[in-house]
Amino acid sequence: MKKKLLSLLMVGAMTASMLAGCGDSGKSDAGTDTAKDDAGDAAADDAGDAAEGTEAAGDAAASGGENTLTVWCWDPAFNIFSMNEAAKVYQKDHPDVTVNVIETPWEDIQTKLTTAATSGALDTLPDIMLVQDNAFQKNVITFPDVFTDLTNSGVDFSQFAAGKTAYSVIDGKNYGVPFDNGAVIACYRTDMLEEAGLTIDDFTDITFDQYVENGKKVLEKTGKPLLSMQAGECDLIMMMMQSAGASLFNEDGTANILGNDTLKIVMETYKKLKDEGVLIEVNSWDEYVSSLTSGTVAGTINGCWIMASIQTAEDQSGKWAITNMPSLVGAEGATNYSNNGGSSWAVSSNCKDTELAFDFLASTFAGSTELYDNIISCGALATYAPAGDSEAYAAPNDFFGGDAVSSKIVEFSTKVPSNITGVYYYEARDAVATAITNYINGGDIEAELQTAESTVNNQMQ
Amino acid sequence: MSKPSSKMSLDKKHNMTGWAFLTPAALLIFLMSFVPMIQAFLLSFKMGKGNNLSTADPIFANYTRMFTDTVFTQSIKNTFFYLIIQVPIMLVLALILASILNNRQLRFKGLFRTMIFLPCATSLVAYAIIFRTLFANDGLVNLALVNLGILKTPYAFLTHATSAKIIIIIGLLWRWTGYNMVFYLSGLQNIEYSVYEAAKIDGASPIQTFFKITVPLLKPTILLTAIMSTNGTLQLFDESVNLTDGGPANASITMSHYIYNMSFKYVPTFGYAAAMSFLILILVAVLAFIQMKVGDKRD
Repeated sequence: MKKKLLSLLMVGAMTASMLAGCGDSGKSDAGTDTAKDDAGDAAADDAGDAAEGTEAAGDAAASGGENTLTVWCWDPAFNIFSMNEAAKVYQKDHPDVTVNVIETPWEDIQTKLTTAATSGALDTLPDIMLVQDNAFQKNVITFPDVFTDLTNSGVDFSQFAAGKTAYSVIDGKNYGVPFDNGAVIACYRTDMLEEAGLTIDDFTDITFDQYVENGKKVLEKTGKPLLSMQAGECDLIMMMMQSAGASLFNEDGTANILGNDTLKIVMETYKKLKDEGVLIEVNSWDEYVSSLTSGTVAGTINGCWIMASIQTAEDQSGKWAITNMPSLVGAEGATNYSNNGGSSWAVSSNCKDTELAFDFLASTFAGSTELYDNIISCGALATYAPAGDSEAYAAPNDFFGGDAVSSKIVEFSTKVPSNITGVYYYEARDAVATAITNYINGGDIEAELQTAESTVNNQMQ
Repeated sequence: MSKPSSKMSLDKKHNMTGWAFLTPAALLIFLMSFVPMIQAFLLSFKMGKGNNLSTADPIFANYTRMFTDTVFTQSIKNTFFYLIIQVPIMLVLALILASILNNRQLRFKGLFRTMIFLPCATSLVAYAIIFRTLFANDGLVNLALVNLGILKTPYAFLTHATSAKIIIIIGLLWRWTGYNMVFYLSGLQNIEYSVYEAAKIDGASPIQTFFKITVPLLKPTILLTAIMSTNGTLQLFDESVNLTDGGPANASITMSHYIYNMSFKYVPTFGYAAAMSFLILILVAVLAFIQMKVGDKRD
């Protein structure tokens, strides 16, 4: 009898472990490094934690039924919070509509999307999903049957910053409703600048030449570089490129690397920053964030979402200030504004009630300043222009010296030049990163650009 | 007359039972492993992005493309660098550790064995991230070297091509030496202790014992570990992704990492990715075949 009971228990345990095994995704480990690209999501760890909660809900992920919208997005403190707030705003007029948010890290959304599209199982997709801006073109062009055209959905796209909307426009059609802001800001430690006899005004509306000069002063007086960047990732390169409206691709989709004058200026500027010691390279995203919070560097240049990470260093409250980024010298159309990261809402082709989804997006993320006021607390800054005029955006932020940073950033975002992301964004980005690393280590700039161009051309086959 | 026929049927019966036990597993392996492999092989003759696949023209286009792809050729070089440097060091080290631990006079054997084997119980991702932290600019290693006065300023280990590769090799050694050691230890259990005693009586030194007795008698195990390590190194992925992210400038990227990039990070090119995977399969098969020919010298 005892034996029987034991064997029954064993069988039960085995079945349970097998079932558990099926649900084990293991996808979360790609987290730390790539989460950096998940620009809106500065807290990389969230992506990892999120993976577990997702699987159980996996089967329920499919598009919702009557008056229900299923949504995939990833950060509980940020975009999930915002979506839930949007649901509350919408439910005031439409109490019978429910929004079912399923926490899905971006890595998983990409994998699920690829799997669904390649296997033809489109019914596993949700109604609405959040898509990284940098991956938008790639996904719409590779898997056109996954997305729904939003051009005539009633969303007024003219109210969004042009540079932002361009990420989700393919062949003149809108496929995404812009969500979080990736406008580039330059942050500085005012206490360190003071030691070098400088103020934040010395860094506003400047060029990279002036930036290097100021940086040398700061380095001399405090021993701190002005800027840290992750080696092998070309965030700064892409920001510099976009600040002059330049791209790594031509309109027709061909690579624009060899003979791209702006890219050459960008590479030379980057090398100069590195050679003068104004820029230090670190190995990983965690190291980058810790260089900011531990006071190893006197500032940074990044998408405005980086503020969330900076503000974790509570002891540095009041010691930071925000201004625009330096502009390139000698580049055509150079400005002090750029964009890095961000994401947009897409409606999947599996959405049964597209009318509802369209109306929901048009009256929340593309029509409610109230929503943006509610979500400003989590650092979600609008790319929706009317929201920037609201009072909540003019509120001072004590961490950044009492400055009204929110309205400042919204203002920056409207000035960002638009450029071409291209389908092969990640390919080009990696090839250029390789070229820059080799160039800094003494390679010939023309030869490296030639290699980068042929690498990208090879990968585009 | 009837006797042999009934014996045949008994044999048959036994055979049938055997087949009945084999069939479910064989079927599952065929469905879950071989069918996808055949499908992947067919896929490797297709070109295109995402779902827009068409038959490659010429049919071997994906295979010839590999040799013009500078990143892929770089990844092959890197992988072979790891293979040639790391596998011999690791196997020799494991062998030495195993024969030390096999010594009957040694105390706390269990403790040492556990300590050396323990790294194998850690997750590949976790250890890769810890190594990355150790060798960071403000990591433990740099801190120690600077404070000891060996270095003046921290050395960026992971942003220099050679040191990045060396750190991956150090990581691999840490993670896998104990694993191979356990194989040798179990192999050593099968060697009669009296053989060692006889050698001792004949006046053989420990080094002579090692080379004349331990190594020859462990040959089958050494062959096994060599093939397994070669196989594992050619498929190296986690360390490249998590420790160095393939950098700097693709100096440490492995073949599997590049295949992953081609399928998921970049615009999906599954046909080409499948073709590259088959190149790894061919390389593993060829290397295993050579090792078997070299290692297996039964008289």
